[in-house]
Amino acid sequence: MSANSNRMVRPRRVSRRRLLASVPALGGALATGCSDVFRPPVIRGGLIGAADVLTMSTSRWLLADQPLAREFERSDIAPDFPTWGQTNPSDEEYQRHLREGFRDWRLPVSGLVERPQSFSLNDIKQLPSRTQITAHVCEQGWSAIAEWTGAPLSQLLEAAGGVKPGARYVVLDTVDRWYESIDMFEVVHPQTILAYGLNGGELPVGNGAPLRLRVERQCGYKNLKFLKSIQVVDSIAAFGRGTGGLNSDFGFHWYGGV
Amino acid sequence: MMPKLARSVDRTWLPLHSYNVRVCHWINVIAAGYLLLSGIHIFLDFPELYWGNTGYQGYPAIFKLSDWGLSWDEAGALGNRMWGRNYHFTFAWVFLINGLIYVGWSLRTGHVRARLWPGREELAPANLGENFRDHLRWREPKRAQATSYGVLQKISYLLLIFVFVPVMLLTGLAQSPAFTAAWPWLLDLFGGRQSARTLHSIGTVIFVVFVVVHILEVLLAGAVNRVRSMITGRFLVTGEEK
Repeated sequence: MSANSNRMVRPRRVSRRRLLASVPALGGALATGCSDVFRPPVIRGGLIGAADVLTMSTSRWLLADQPLAREFERSDIAPDFPTWGQTNPSDEEYQRHLREGFRDWRLPVSGLVERPQSFSLNDIKQLPSRTQITAHVCEQGWSAIAEWTGAPLSQLLEAAGGVKPGARYVVLDTVDRWYESIDMFEVVHPQTILAYGLNGGELPVGNGAPLRLRVERQCGYKNLKFLKSIQVVDSIAAFGRGTGGLNSDFGFHWYGGV
Repeated sequence: MMPKLARSVDRTWLPLHSYNVRVCHWINVIAAGYLLLSGIHIFLDFPELYWGNTGYQGYPAIFKLSDWGLSWDEAGALGNRMWGRNYHFTFAWVFLINGLIYVGWSLRTGHVRARLWPGREELAPANLGENFRDHLRWREPKRAQATSYGVLQKISYLLLIFVFVPVMLLTGLAQSPAFTAAWPWLLDLFGGRQSARTLHSIGTVIFVVFVVVHILEVLLAGAVNRVRSMITGRFLVTGEEK
């Protein structure tokens, strides 16, 4: 009890290396008593909830070594990557940023990070970058291959001083009031990036400019466009209807791996 | 004229389906029914098929439901992908667990060998030909075949269980971004994610054909007696068939 309250007062900093070491391997997750990798934050009732847990735990067990999603050749890139759903948010502030070329657009990173702060688009472009040619897999059934360039989410969190103990989810909000969360297992994956480039150019408006999430091992509905802010949290209960995302608030499975 | 009492003496109840077969069969009916319905919902929400890894509205399709009279918007109004996805993945687990229990039990007890595996004489071309002609003429199974599976039936069941179901399972998983990250060979095996979706859809049609033929065969072979035997396990053989 005293050790616990002590930790509350003086949070021990967890470096990215430590984060990477403890989260990816299921052995590590089990050793630290962390069951997050196997189950969604809120388990639905009945048979559907049981199947959710089976689906998520089976795929996470198979992904225990954090393999990369397949990366394709340049020649595989789709001629015109679809712009689905929201293609140009009417939000006044967003439209101003768009007109100004996102000159003073900023991404606040808050919650359980050591140094909460906001990043300009240029700050994010200065971070180590990753370029990947991957397939976007929409839960509707379509898929298209594109080359994405961006900063790994783990690099951004490290730039914010690293995450504090107890961090379990990253919640992402968008300009058009969408939100989703992903767990640390997905956050530390090298292909989980905040993309600002598509097929060698700037990220177009229709695809979520200036910044969108690429979480390559989950379906399209987790890959939010038009990012507005990022929060690192220990619980998603306070967001929306408390299921961890607008899609799961509607009734989709929170885990978008299938 | 033969009195009715005498006729009832000739009624014989033969054991036909074991407890395990019956339980697994009806769980399977429920699971496969939900899988079909939810699969149709998922398909209607994106009613086009493609080949390879890429496919989206506007990309060259190999099948468009709109060519068959149902527009994209009309199909979308009929299909609810959220309901479809929730129930498809739920009953996929019910189907898989039930199927593994059935196959495990069948291999262990010798059910596959005794009831499903066709003998050499059954596979003789003359026998296969005769069996096939009987089916074309919708002829009732002979007395000797009433309580064992016909050779075409055996082959259908074996293909269904050991080829069709694994292919459906794998083409389903080949559409999942998480499972293909773990098993990228799924994409190579089927020639891409959209190819897997197309094969999965063709498989759905094959499944519907199987169900239609299966039900027709049951009706032909005596609906009440056949369905009752799948519930109680016992099959009634009457005197005049002896």
